Amino acid sequence: MNSYKEIQSGSKPFKRAYVALMLWFVGRAIEAAARVDGVVKAEFDGLAPGFTFSLGVMPQGPTMIVGKDAQGLVKYRGWNTEGQKIDLKMKVKNLEGAILMFTFQESTALATARNRLIVDGEVPAACAIVRVLDIVEVYLLPKLIAKLAVKRYPDWSFGEKVRNRIRIYAGAVLGL
Amino acid sequence: MDLPGYYEYHCSVKVIAGHDALEKIPGILQDLHACRPMIVTDKGVAGAGLVDIVLGAVKDQLVIGAVADDVPPDSDLRVVNRLAALYREKGCDALIAVGGGSVMDTAKGINIVVSEGADDLMKFSGAGALKRPLKPLVAIPTTAGTGSEVTLVAVVKDHERHLKMAFVSYFLLPDVSILDSRMTLSLPAAITAATGMDAMTHAVEAYYGLSKNPLSDATALAAIRLISGNLVKATRNPSDREARLAMANAAALAGMAFSNSMVGMVHTLGHATGSVCGVPHGVCMAILLPYGLEYNRHKREAIMGELFFPMGGSDVFARTPKEQRTDRVIAYVRQMNQDLHDASGGRHARYFKEVSDREGKPAVPRERLPDIARTALGDGSIFYNPEELDYDDFLMVLEAAWEGVALDSGRIRE
Ligand SMILES: [Fe+2]
Repeated sequence: MNSYKEIQSGSKPFKRAYVALMLWFVGRAIEAAARVDGVVKAEFDGLAPGFTFSLGVMPQGPTMIVGKDAQGLVKYRGWNTEGQKIDLKMKVKNLEGAILMFTFQESTALATARNRLIVDGEVPAACAIVRVLDIVEVYLLPKLIAKLAVKRYPDWSFGEKVRNRIRIYAGAVLGL
Repeated sequence: MDLPGYYEYHCSVKVIAGHDALEKIPGILQDLHACRPMIVTDKGVAGAGLVDIVLGAVKDQLVIGAVADDVPPDSDLRVVNRLAALYREKGCDALIAVGGGSVMDTAKGINIVVSEGADDLMKFSGAGALKRPLKPLVAIPTTAGTGSEVTLVAVVKDHERHLKMAFVSYFLLPDVSILDSRMTLSLPAAITAATGMDAMTHAVEAYYGLSKNPLSDATALAAIRLISGNLVKATRNPSDREARLAMANAAALAGMAFSNSMVGMVHTLGHATGSVCGVPHGVCMAILLPYGLEYNRHKREAIMGELFFPMGGSDVFARTPKEQRTDRVIAYVRQMNQDLHDASGGRHARYFKEVSDREGKPAVPRERLPDIARTALGDGSIFYNPEELDYDDFLMVLEAAWEGVALDSGRIRE
């Protein structure tokens, strides 16, 4: 007798864990970069008071949330979207797309161009957040990799960049 | 040929094109199981006698439920909701949109409301709000440029709350687009020129943009070829039926290209100039297109060079060495603007300082350029542009486009 196999959609725990770790790291790095980098700070200052956005993977996450608090300070707000008012949701359509993005095989721009991202919210805010993500990537990644991840590698002065980079790493890893 | 590692392409619109394509409408609606359409149009289109031409072509075989001819020049949420109520009241079962971008957007908006059995379009904003097919929609463009007869977007403005809502869904694609030369024969020279350059920009930006793919490339190249051969002709001689039909085809082809490959910085700056200074979209496109080519050139040299084939023709293309082709493409677009300027009796603007508003005053004062550059930073089309642009870059491009001079290649940061 033939047994008709049923296939369940898989969970890919390792890839999911990797993306979750990267999201956690990027979320905390954004918080640090908003303190350290003038351009990132200015981008957030231009957004509405209390502005909050999420970046996550469809259908069930992982997700990270970053938002401005009452004082206008940028904070990483964890992964749980429940009970949070989120103004801008950026969702990668599937885990494989997120892997391409977070192993930096595909830039944010290319991921958008290839229709891997869904953006739900105001477009000007989405533009600002993509610019922030680009700057944070430049801080976090070695130049060789970051050059693939962003359209134009910025010509920052070396000393300033190294100092900021150390502070952003310290913020992201140690929460300083 | 560049084959992307991944791409998506979707165009499910049936296109019917010809000098007597309108006569097909009754049969088309029958195939779609509809028998009582509502016509959506505006006063300008109706006043030019175009609705009468449509009615003349269909009315011995078809009952028209209502002719709604009061769509404003700028799509409006309240008008959408009001006309949706009219559609229901008159027992209509399909929509025929006759007009330009605003009419198409309005008809798409009405279609959402009536198909979902709702009373307010607002409930359906946001990604993925539409989940099933809508009522049959037949699009009859009366300009050759926007391409909205084959696109999946509807932009509707809420003038009370100063919001611009974009609805994006494959269900918003019209079922059928009718390209009939009679619909554009009365279009004035300056509008013919500007809307035609919008189509040209769709094709060119789609071809060198980040989402280019073999299917959008094919439609973009065909569009450019038709525009190169016919736009100046149609502008010089508005009653040239062949040139009109060619341009209608070109606009639809370019629409297919850019709705799948998207547009870039020419549209980013064009949208911003439109919203800050109220300059018509096509006028901005014509002025800015050479700068999109110049600015992105270092990233797309070989791809841009290929555009000289549909522009210059096969013989000239073959005779031109590879390294000169992009120069020739840029020169070709500038010359085209000059030819359109001449063919329209000087009404087609070549640079921003030449654009005037209804009272004849400069429409883009130089001191507004920083506002335009700031607005551009919030436009999503920038994602698809090959090179990055920040505020200073936008301003640099705007200043050159205002003056009408080529970009200084030394100031383009690589
Ligand atoms: Fe356009």
